[in-house]
Amino acid sequence: MNRLCDSMEPRVMDDDMLKLAVGEQGPQEEAGQLAKQEGILFKDVLSLQLDFRNILRIDNLWQFENLRKLQLDNNIIEKIEGLENLTHLVWLDLSFNNIETIEGLDTLVNLEDLSLFNNRISKIDSLDALVKLQVLSLGNNQIDNMMNIIYLRRFKCLRTLSLSGNPISEAEDYKIFICAHLPDLVYLDFRRIDDHTKELAEAKHQYSIDELKHQENLMQVRLEDEQARQEELEKHKTAFVEHLNGSFLFDSMYAEDSEGNKLSYLPGVSELLEAYKDKFVIICVNIFEYGLKQQEKRKIELDTFSECVHEAIQENQEQGKRKIAQFKEKHLSSLSAIREESELPNIEKKILECSADISELFNELMMLEMQLVEQLEETINMFERNIVDMVGLFIENVQSLMAQCRDLENHHHEKLLEISISTLEKIVVGDLDEDLPDDLRALFVNKDTIVNAVGASHDIHLLKIDNREGELVTRINSWCTRLVDKIHKDEIMRNRKRVKEINQYVDHMQSELDNLEYGNILD
Amino acid sequence: MEVLREKVEEEEEAEREEAAERAEWGRTEKMMRPVEVRKEETTLTQEMLRDLEKKLSEIQIPISAELPAFTKDTIDISKLPVSYKTNTPEEEHLLQVADNFSRQYSHLCPDRVPLFLHPLNECEVPKFVSTTLRPTLMPYPELYNWDSCAQFVSDFLTMVPLPDPLKPPSHLYSSTTVLKYQKGNCFDFSTLLCSMLIGSGYDAYCVNGYGSLDLCHMDLTREVCPLTVKPKETIKREEKVLLKKYTIRPPRDLCSRFEQEQEVKKQQEIRAQEKKQLREEEERLMEAEKAKPDALHGLRVHSWVLVLSGKREVPENFFIDAFTGHSYSTQDERFLGIESLWNHKNYWINMQDCWNCCKDLIFDLGDPVRWEYMLLGTDKSQLSLTEEDDSGINDEDDVENLGKEDEDKSFDMPHSWVEQIEISPEAFETRCPNGKKVIQYKRAKLEKWAPYLNSNGLVSRLTTYEDLECTNILEIKEWYQNREDMLELKHINKTTDLKTDYFKHGHPQALRVHSYKSMQPETDHVIEFYETARVDGLIKREETARTMTEYYQGRPDFLSYRHANFGPRVKKLTLSSAESNPRPIVKITERFFRNPAKPAEEDVAERVFLVAEERIQLRYHCRDDHITASKREFLRHTEVDSKGNKIIMTPDMCISFEVEPMEHTKKLLYQYEAMMHLKREEKLSRHQVWESELEVLEILKLREEEEAAHTLTISIYDTKRNEKSKEYREAMERVMHEEHLRQVETQLDYLAPFLAQLPPGEKLTRWQAVRLKDECLSDFKQRLINKANLIQARFEKETQELQKKQQWYQENQVTLTPEDEDLYLSYCSQAMFRIRILEQRLNRHKELAPLKYLALEEKLYKDPRLGELQKIFA
Repeated sequence: MNRLCDSMEPRVMDDDMLKLAVGEQGPQEEAGQLAKQEGILFKDVLSLQLDFRNILRIDNLWQFENLRKLQLDNNIIEKIEGLENLTHLVWLDLSFNNIETIEGLDTLVNLEDLSLFNNRISKIDSLDALVKLQVLSLGNNQIDNMMNIIYLRRFKCLRTLSLSGNPISEAEDYKIFICAHLPDLVYLDFRRIDDHTKELAEAKHQYSIDELKHQENLMQVRLEDEQARQEELEKHKTAFVEHLNGSFLFDSMYAEDSEGNKLSYLPGVSELLEAYKDKFVIICVNIFEYGLKQQEKRKIELDTFSECVHEAIQENQEQGKRKIAQFKEKHLSSLSAIREESELPNIEKKILECSADISELFNELMMLEMQLVEQLEETINMFERNIVDMVGLFIENVQSLMAQCRDLENHHHEKLLEISISTLEKIVVGDLDEDLPDDLRALFVNKDTIVNAVGASHDIHLLKIDNREGELVTRINSWCTRLVDKIHKDEIMRNRKRVKEINQYVDHMQSELDNLEYGNILD
Repeated sequence: MEVLREKVEEEEEAEREEAAERAEWGRTEKMMRPVEVRKEETTLTQEMLRDLEKKLSEIQIPISAELPAFTKDTIDISKLPVSYKTNTPEEEHLLQVADNFSRQYSHLCPDRVPLFLHPLNECEVPKFVSTTLRPTLMPYPELYNWDSCAQFVSDFLTMVPLPDPLKPPSHLYSSTTVLKYQKGNCFDFSTLLCSMLIGSGYDAYCVNGYGSLDLCHMDLTREVCPLTVKPKETIKREEKVLLKKYTIRPPRDLCSRFEQEQEVKKQQEIRAQEKKQLREEEERLMEAEKAKPDALHGLRVHSWVLVLSGKREVPENFFIDAFTGHSYSTQDERFLGIESLWNHKNYWINMQDCWNCCKDLIFDLGDPVRWEYMLLGTDKSQLSLTEEDDSGINDEDDVENLGKEDEDKSFDMPHSWVEQIEISPEAFETRCPNGKKVIQYKRAKLEKWAPYLNSNGLVSRLTTYEDLECTNILEIKEWYQNREDMLELKHINKTTDLKTDYFKHGHPQALRVHSYKSMQPETDHVIEFYETARVDGLIKREETARTMTEYYQGRPDFLSYRHANFGPRVKKLTLSSAESNPRPIVKITERFFRNPAKPAEEDVAERVFLVAEERIQLRYHCRDDHITASKREFLRHTEVDSKGNKIIMTPDMCISFEVEPMEHTKKLLYQYEAMMHLKREEKLSRHQVWESELEVLEILKLREEEEAAHTLTISIYDTKRNEKSKEYREAMERVMHEEHLRQVETQLDYLAPFLAQLPPGEKLTRWQAVRLKDECLSDFKQRLINKANLIQARFEKETQELQKKQQWYQENQVTLTPEDEDLYLSYCSQAMFRIRILEQRLNRHKELAPLKYLALEEKLYKDPRLGELQKIFA
């Protein structure tokens, strides 16, 4: 099926070619004249047809941001590329080319119709991003493995598929296999699948399908679990107390602490450690619960605040709209009065009145806006104060709880030291009954070594606690500042926008009036 | 023994009564009659009063002359059951008890009017009032509640005033008679109503007392019609807005408090003045409306129904006036006093003072001080405990009473002598006598008809007047039922001449309300629709001579409003009707709801097609965070430039204001396309308007047809009115009848005539049996032959006649007139038909005769009377 155009020179997709195509395919007749006058921007083009042009390489398409439909059939393209920017693409036709692998389609999430008919593809692959895919045409390719079909099960919207002309279509139960594995399919190879075939297929491949379904379900469940866990963690993170609802912190203290681990083999230390851990975890859980509670409180606070602000803004907007509506009514009547008036001095007088009205409207609207700004500022400041207080209180309480942790650690440290020293004494005396691991025994060389080892362990623990505390405090502080900043910024943006809007409207009104003035004078 | 005990009981009762009465009298030296009476007595002597009363009764009640007197002469007593004509021993006894009671009562209270205890019934037999009550539960679910019951009684009976307005009537007829003649006085009304109410479980009593003039004469002209009273709008309580933590502070109030106060004061003064004026006005009106003072106020005897609380979830005691069927509070000042009351079990005399109408009465029938009962035992034990510490004397009486109650066997009220009260479904449906009733209210007149009585389905009409004399009609409301066009209510406002028709669900054009002044098209019409029944979601269409406004809801294109202005019709030279010459459209305004799928700046809120000026104005929706909305205006002039080329689009053809200017909308191409689109839309809209106009015409035409035809629908379950089902039923009956006849025929005994020749009661001998069989068969054969001969003879006769006729025709063919020829020809064809039929019959007979013969033989063979013998000797 190699085409005649093989003998022709491959062409490059350059600006001229694209412009020509756009011009040809753009609006026709009167609209076409207009379009020619103005020129068409590539980003306004919704559909583009580039067939039979001997294109070898897809290029220069990045400007067509809003393209919905792209036809590149009957060219000599070998590789799918340069389509990354066309994210709005719904329909892509790449049939009758020389493509060997499916690639470069990962950004086309809106694609619904993909045609790769008559290419050299041997494997269905790399289509994961195309969640909306409805029509897939892969006829006349070199797909030879039936298992490729199973890959297509993930496309829930797929209704039409064509695979004829592939090696697999020669297979005996090609049709039945596809029907069984893609039960939502409606058309296969341009024919409707009748119910009978579907039933037959289902019956034949029931076992394999069931297994597949089972596996898919398992995957789904695992995925959901993972998601749920992630969400939970996310929630804890927003409360800044993640991993504090268990022994995570405690475990991490001992994770890098080799000396501590060694020392735990000392007689009596394991019990001590157990008790220490229990107490520590209880405090951690306390912090965790307190954190969640505080988070809830902060959320309620924030919600009330935004609700109130929203209400205030709405109310203000309503007032503004009313003012404008009143003005418009009056303005329209005075405009028509001016049009009907024939005496020049009268016209001038009326126009003056009119512009006075406009500036009056401007003043009123601006006053409303300024009033709102003042009110909001007050409220925002109040909120800021409250939220900062809340955060401060939270930090304070967490710090006091953390201090308890430290106390525990200190206590533990003392005990441990005591045991260590007594053990050392025993070793020195030589009446140690138990066997100690060798690396632990190595520590009991002299008093300094053992004290250093215990101290190092203690330092690591304290450091971990400090780090966790520091992390919490910095994160909540930064959250707080960011929130407050955002509120301020939003308010400023809102204000700017409103002022701009008012100005624009008033300017428009004024210019309309001016135009009228000129028109009258010209008359 | 029995009598003795009764006597004792009576004596004791009398004693007790005396004691009670004395106590009562001792305490309150007052009379039972309302105070007004005594007031009059001070100014008038008894004779004068009587005179006046006579005069008044003659003057004020001309109605009695008009209405046919409801006396015993008109009642056919011959068909009444025995219980109506005689008294049972129990009843006799009861009457004795009642007489005794009455004597004691008149002895103790000589200045009170005699009791209304046992008036005569239609057969001139004295019957005790309680036995005249016949508690009956009606088979109609509509009559289960007191209000519908009372309404029914008031509708069903025609009111006849009492012969003497100052005395209870001498006769009290049974409810069955009253129902039969559909008229009665207040006692008849309340007896019937009370029977029905007790039957359906209410604690109801007949009351003999005194009522106001209006009440006694069923005069509602001073009452506001309940239908005209508008339901009070429930005032929504304003919800208190909870001040949230971050609610913004209101802007500082810069107005002077002092000035405000002054303003408020001024306003209040003005309002007070207005109020005063209003009140004066009202007072004046009230004065005018007030009834003329009634000379017999407080003396007019009336009877109504008292319903006590407790049963059937009645929350508090109330009166029902059986004449009108309205309920009144026991505090109502139209009820001036109670003499006595009774239900089907007992009779109570009111011992309380009625100087303040019935307002101070306490309906605690168990309290013997307030209510003197006639029969012991059936007494209500309603005496509330608070009464215990009333007074020492009473206490003793109570104790005595209680003791006696234990000792004595109580005397039960005999069963009612009245037959079961029955109302036929027809009468129930017809309701009012002759299915028609007129009630005059204050400034209103209500007319009622039975359904299907009026051919246009009218069931009631309320006419409201401006003045008290009912001359200037304000408005008319007509209610309809069972109309095919689902018309429910027609409201005619006479002052504005506006007619409003209300429809139920199911009109072919989904009409809900149609208000108009005339049915002419292109005049003021407001048509409302059931929008769910319409495909286009139209709710309302208003039409005037120059405009048409339509309101929509729930459309996929979010159209909510379309307003079209029309210009004066261009006069065409050719004659054309309104349909082919629609009014030229000057302007179309269309408004749309917000389409959530589109961004606000692309979602058109309003578009105005100024058809005449060739302009199109667009206004877009306002974005949530904006206060201004985008606008666009297109000029559609197609101009030609200096070279004669058509100018397609120039920037000044589209003036637009955009809240947030965007790149692509500035382009001429975009504007051009928008304009093209709008042009198409304009065409569509114009078409829509034109179609709407056509629809209005169609609706008006349909309405006119409906008005003219006013066909009524008849339920398929209504066997009497539904012609189709009636025919079907009759046909069925006929078929059944024929079937029955045929069956009788088949059962004819073929042996009977032959058996009759033999002596009866004897067993047949074999010879006899054989002979019988042969005779029967030969007879049947003879009959078959006779029949064949008969048919043959007829056939031959017909053929001969035909031949004769043909011969005659052949001879006179030339001289025949065309009429004669026609006659001949028709005769021929008929004769041929007859001959053919006879021929067929003959053939058929020939075929069937042997079969029939065989069948008879078979039958005879199997006949038990002959078969036995044949079998034995065969």
